[in-house]
Amino acid sequence: MIALEQVSHDWGDFALTDVSFSVADGEYFVILGPTGAGKTLILETIAGFYIPREGHILLKGDDATHTPPEKRNIGFVYQDYALFPHMTVEENVAFGLKMHGSPKETVEHRVQKIMEVMQISHLKERFPTTLSGGEQQRTALARALVIDPDVLLLDEPLSALDPRTRENLRDELKRLHQTQGTTTIHVTHDQTEALVLADRIAVIIDGRVVQVDVPSKVFNNPASVEVANFVGVENVLKGRILSNKDGVARVDVGTYQVHVLSSLGEGDVHVFVRPENIILAKEKFQSSARNVVEGQIIDVTQFGAVFRISMDTGLSAFVTKQSVDELGLQARETVYASFKATAAHLIKR
Amino acid sequence: MTLDKRLRGVKRFPLSLLFSMVGSILVLFTILTLFNMIVQQLVLEPTGFVKAATDPLVIESILLTLYASFLATLIAVIFGTPLAYVLARHDFPGKNIVESVIDVPVIIPHSVAGIALYTLLMRRSVIGTAFQNIGVVFEDSLWGIVAAMLFVSASFYINAAREGFQSVNPRLERVARTLGASQWRAFHHIALPLALRHLFSGAIMAWARGISEFGAVIIIAFYPMIAPVLIFYKFTTGGLRGSQPIAVLLILICFAVFIGLRMSSKYWERRQ
Amino acid sequence: MKPRTMLMIVAVIVIVVVGGIYFSNPYWKEKTVLKIFHAGSLTVPFETIETQFEADQHTFLREVDVQLEPAGSVACVKKITELGEEADVLASADYSLIPTMMIPTHADWYVIFAKNRMTLAYTANSMYADEINATNWYEILRRSDVKWGFSNPNLDPCGYRTPMVIQLAELEYGDHNIFEDLIEANSDITVTKNNGTYTINSNITDLNPKTERLTIRDKSVDLVSLVQAGGLDYAFEYSSVAKQHGLTYLELPESIDLSAVAYTDTYSTVTIRLTSGTNTGSPIVYGITIPTNAPNQALAEEWVKYVINEYGQGVWTDNGQPPITPAVTSDLDKTPESLKAYVVEE
Repeated sequence: MIALEQVSHDWGDFALTDVSFSVADGEYFVILGPTGAGKTLILETIAGFYIPREGHILLKGDDATHTPPEKRNIGFVYQDYALFPHMTVEENVAFGLKMHGSPKETVEHRVQKIMEVMQISHLKERFPTTLSGGEQQRTALARALVIDPDVLLLDEPLSALDPRTRENLRDELKRLHQTQGTTTIHVTHDQTEALVLADRIAVIIDGRVVQVDVPSKVFNNPASVEVANFVGVENVLKGRILSNKDGVARVDVGTYQVHVLSSLGEGDVHVFVRPENIILAKEKFQSSARNVVEGQIIDVTQFGAVFRISMDTGLSAFVTKQSVDELGLQARETVYASFKATAAHLIKR
Repeated sequence: MTLDKRLRGVKRFPLSLLFSMVGSILVLFTILTLFNMIVQQLVLEPTGFVKAATDPLVIESILLTLYASFLATLIAVIFGTPLAYVLARHDFPGKNIVESVIDVPVIIPHSVAGIALYTLLMRRSVIGTAFQNIGVVFEDSLWGIVAAMLFVSASFYINAAREGFQSVNPRLERVARTLGASQWRAFHHIALPLALRHLFSGAIMAWARGISEFGAVIIIAFYPMIAPVLIFYKFTTGGLRGSQPIAVLLILICFAVFIGLRMSSKYWERRQ
Repeated sequence: MKPRTMLMIVAVIVIVVVGGIYFSNPYWKEKTVLKIFHAGSLTVPFETIETQFEADQHTFLREVDVQLEPAGSVACVKKITELGEEADVLASADYSLIPTMMIPTHADWYVIFAKNRMTLAYTANSMYADEINATNWYEILRRSDVKWGFSNPNLDPCGYRTPMVIQLAELEYGDHNIFEDLIEANSDITVTKNNGTYTINSNITDLNPKTERLTIRDKSVDLVSLVQAGGLDYAFEYSSVAKQHGLTYLELPESIDLSAVAYTDTYSTVTIRLTSGTNTGSPIVYGITIPTNAPNQALAEEWVKYVINEYGQGVWTDNGQPPITPAVTSDLDKTPESLKAYVVEE
């Protein structure tokens, strides 16, 4: 439906290099990347405001690289919503249809419908400056959706909202996508958003595509240390494969060995383990986990609802407060960290 | 808001009160200067004023001044609005030079501007001869007056318009384009309406600046006499007595027009 | 388009069109413009002549518009010689400017038609007004509480004549400090005395007057309003200017007031150097000419006729500028045919 082929462009402070990915019809595609890394520019390029120095943008199979924005039938929602301050909510939403020359009755009808769907009908005479963040967001979405776009581009749509509104709108976006089925490209730095909403994720760091995958793969099998760091894989160990038996590699990480499910047979590797996948115990115990590492606690830090336990083995684990209290976890205590071979992941170094 | 409520607000901010007092010195300065002359004329010598107000030469001169400046402002708006938009939206090599060139007419001494315009547009010059072929002469004509007024006042409009366009978030126009608006329609429906207040205020400033121009106009077009030239002429022949009534009349008329324009623009805005 | 915008555009178009029609000339009437550059001190009498002239020239199919452009005499000439402006008539408060600056490139002849005298103008409110007379005026100007002025010598003949009058005063009153006390002490103008001839040096751009005592303006007529308002006590003006503006004026001895042909030799002992050239003291005589590039030669000749004929002579007398009867031309051969009957050659 929409594809980027080796798109490169330079903006001085930021540059896109060789960006390629494709989004299928009706897919919810998330571009994940650090804040301020020019993600808006990526969307604006897709929308047609910049003609890339190299590469092509394809819409529905046709090369649209040189098509002007007004002919691309793309819906765009900016992070600051960019509602027209001199028009009412209703006029904002109706704008696109007016530009397309739709007859008055059609315009009225479709505008009413979308406002009902987005639950903003009661705001139709209001001006954007008097609306709350969530109301502005819904208006911006209505305005973009009413023209029935081929692709919907969302620029960090939830970043400017408070946590509760954010969750509500996030769920609404999911619902909307399920009912409307619009092909969507959603840009964000928030992993939870990506996890919840995406059919597929493209991780873009420093203007390059580093990994394109389904969410579970990105989070559990990051393709590089950068991706791992970004998606919150706390445990990154350097090691060397000693042997591989029945698809399980034995890796020497210095002071101990780990077993990881992998097809790699030899070589220097990075080992990734998500901190949530590590279980702590005060005594060595038998479990189905292939890896049990004894170590001393260096640090116990609270992160919101969870505690992070850092150990001298180079591993960190996330546990609840209950576990901290029950196990009496504090610095200098000896503790056993265990995790399954399937919970870890290898990439070549 | 009642006067009481308004005062209460100021009292709560002693800094604002202090600033008001300091600032009012400037306002008083202007009021005193003009008031002194106006009162002197209207109270002490009302007959002189009436004579000037009913003199057809004086009325025609004032109308000519307002009209010529109106034309100059119109030209500034038609050519200056696109220029201001480009300056607001785009960066290009030499932009600094262009912006400096636009500001230069404001610094040049008026008589120098007049001589420069005269040399460029006089009958004998290249441009002057070319224009003569289509029946347009700048020396001692309305065209010359408009040219001089345009030269000194265009910059006020262009700068105000540019600021107006700069104050419009470019993302608004981009969204409009994604919704199907061409570049022109995005400008027409988004940039223009949102910048209108600045454009209007800039136009009024340019018009006011044109009305008061003397040094540049007098060299290229002594005749037909615009009000400032007439006042000067009357001053040299009849002294204060001859010139003051006309000056007062001009001030009162301009005052009335400006107040009218500002009130109508506020009314317009409120209806939005 | 919104109806409001429509209305505005219509309003703009209406204003442009209506104004255009109103301010353009009626197409069925031939309108001739007679442009006259003249000295400030000729403004009032020229306005009188203008009214008569326009009325006489007015026919159903023709309208004459006399455009008077007053300025300092030197500035008038420079507009023609340096800026290349086209005027039909040039009338100067100093006839000698025409041969010095305009002949032969811009003019061929000139006619002298009236004269004037240098006086000290003041009002009843001026300091020591009840005391001043023809023998003590320079003493009074010396007093520290008196403010007086004259026009810029480099722009206005009335301006350069004033230092001459003051220098000549030294001979008349036998007081050799008058120039120093009044001029040198209050400005950057100086005098070089050399065996009975005096050269005044005013060929500087910034005269640097000490403004608590001395006021200098572009044209002598500008000083009139200052005297009338009371900001200035005394101003050196032509008798005509003082008379026309209702100021009291003090008549100075003929030996110093540059009005008598009999004293030409005395006057010529004083010379003044200006930024535009040098001028020797001479009786104040008005000169008029038609520049060679005048657009309306025939009409210009008509105007000059009005200036020098019996009608004109009456106007000059009324204005305190004694006419020269008959008018004298510099070159009878080069004088236009229609004027030859009104002039004699020196």
